Amino acid sequence: MALSTVAWVTLLISLLVVPGVALVVLVRSLRTEDRKLELLTEQDAIDEYSPRALADLRQWIRAHPDDPYADVARSRYDECVRTLREIDEPYYDWSEDQIAELELFEEDE
Amino acid sequence: MSDSEARTAREEWGSRFGFLMAMLGAMVGAGNIWRMPYTTGQNGGGAFLVAYVLLLYVIAVPGLMGETMIGRYTNHGVIGAFKRVFRTRSAQGLGLVVLLVNVALMSYYAPTIGWALYYAAHSLLFTFTQSGFQTTAFWQGFINDPALVIGMHTVTMVAIAGVLVFGIRRGIERVVKWMIPLLVVALLAVAAMGLTLDGGMEGVAFVFTPDWNYLTKGSTWVAALSQALFSTGLGWGIALTYGSYLGRYDDVPLGGGLFTAVGNTSIGLLAVFATFPIVFAFGLQPSAGSNLLFISIPKVFPKLPGGGLWGVTFFVSFFFATFTSGLGITEVGVTTVTEETRLSRTGAVLSVCGVIWLLGIPSAYSTTFLGWMDYVCGSFGLPLATLSIVVLVAWKLGPSRARVIELNRNTGVYVGTWWEPIMKYVIPVVIVFIIAYGAVSSIGTPNQSLMVAGLVIIAVLLAASVAVMHVIGTLPDATAADGGGE
Repeated sequence: MALSTVAWVTLLISLLVVPGVALVVLVRSLRTEDRKLELLTEQDAIDEYSPRALADLRQWIRAHPDDPYADVARSRYDECVRTLREIDEPYYDWSEDQIAELELFEEDE
Repeated sequence: MSDSEARTAREEWGSRFGFLMAMLGAMVGAGNIWRMPYTTGQNGGGAFLVAYVLLLYVIAVPGLMGETMIGRYTNHGVIGAFKRVFRTRSAQGLGLVVLLVNVALMSYYAPTIGWALYYAAHSLLFTFTQSGFQTTAFWQGFINDPALVIGMHTVTMVAIAGVLVFGIRRGIERVVKWMIPLLVVALLAVAAMGLTLDGGMEGVAFVFTPDWNYLTKGSTWVAALSQALFSTGLGWGIALTYGSYLGRYDDVPLGGGLFTAVGNTSIGLLAVFATFPIVFAFGLQPSAGSNLLFISIPKVFPKLPGGGLWGVTFFVSFFFATFTSGLGITEVGVTTVTEETRLSRTGAVLSVCGVIWLLGIPSAYSTTFLGWMDYVCGSFGLPLATLSIVVLVAWKLGPSRARVIELNRNTGVYVGTWWEPIMKYVIPVVIVFIIAYGAVSSIGTPNQSLMVAGLVIIAVLLAASVAVMHVIGTLPDATAADGGGE
């Protein structure tokens, strides 16, 4: 029995959005974690937040300075900034200008 | 190193591949192989897949991100995670609920793994291709022999204990790293063979021909919601537990969320290709559940060239799927008992496996009892466990804090603010809806009294767990908001 066109389309889209995505994610996940290991071996530390994620963290800390979790957030933010200043090669896509603009919360206090 | 230091030193996954395979193995179980193909075919084929895949991405992926994240953040099992975030004794009762639901779930899942083991063993003996082999008589002879079924249940729990006693890296990871790839290869091979059979494509047409009218039916969306929410293992405590063994530099959203949910569904799709072409090529009934696997499919092997080997491929892979889930479900209890008592890991493994073995005897003895357990756990217990974990992540820690502080830390994919309302509102509403829908739709059916009993059981379970932890729970030493993932 031949499949109808619509069945073929459904089949192909299903394969694309489910196993296709799973395969791409698997490969990407293994590669990125390998890259992290490589950088950690070379320089002992890596930046833990991307530029976008660190900007979110900064905004959240400024909006919630007295939150019970603010100390943890500030400490993680500052640690990431210090790491970015120390390491030669960031894991995320940071430019030198972006790193130079970052300030520690510790320095504000 | 002092004893206390030794006890607090926490294992981590040995490799990224090991973690991903463990997550996939834990979430892929019997339901993927014997339920998803049938559910898809019965609910409009391609139309159901559209609804299911949509809900998979909208609910299961964000939910699993949140659950794995809270595990890595606290570096603790289910009770420890509630302890560290809530910092009250009573709230740890919600963690106890997750633990007890897992133990109850495993008590009837272990006998099912025993069935798979029995069939896998017989496939290796080429029983299914012997002349005069009768599948129904074989199944009835097995399932109606309590000593044999309880014996297989016992062997299953011994095997699970034998793996878990070696820990995360040397136990679970070592096993899943070859079982899951072999499962995938085996399903691919069976699917390829099935598609070459005369009439095999009819099975594919049954599943993938969309009947769009089904998208207007509430039952299609409820089936898709249930499949997306519960077949992915969301809220069972497994992602939390496995996530607690991640290192600080590990990604959560890409592996723990996206890969786990979509990878799990990929195996479900593979199962569609592995079973339905065979079912249609040989004119079998595409029924859901154990009958398809243990009665219908074995009829086919004698008729296939090299049928004995296909039997081995099929049943050994089915055993792998169930066994790796058993490891994940049992590890929830083992991790928690190791952390919350003075027992060593070996002691915790023996205790948890012993309790599960004991509680599993009624389910091994009677399939009717197993069916009741499945109904109560699936309809009420698991939704309550999922709700408890969602409350922890989205209502106590808070989705905004969770996302900016922990979820996007070392992430392989940036998670935007869209994640927050899904965790806080969409998932809990869906869970409550599914519980309510299940309860209302069972009124006037034979399941009505079981539904009432189920609701009473979860209410008592919740109240008793909160009361017990209020009395025996302890408070964490660390300061309020520190995560363990340092």
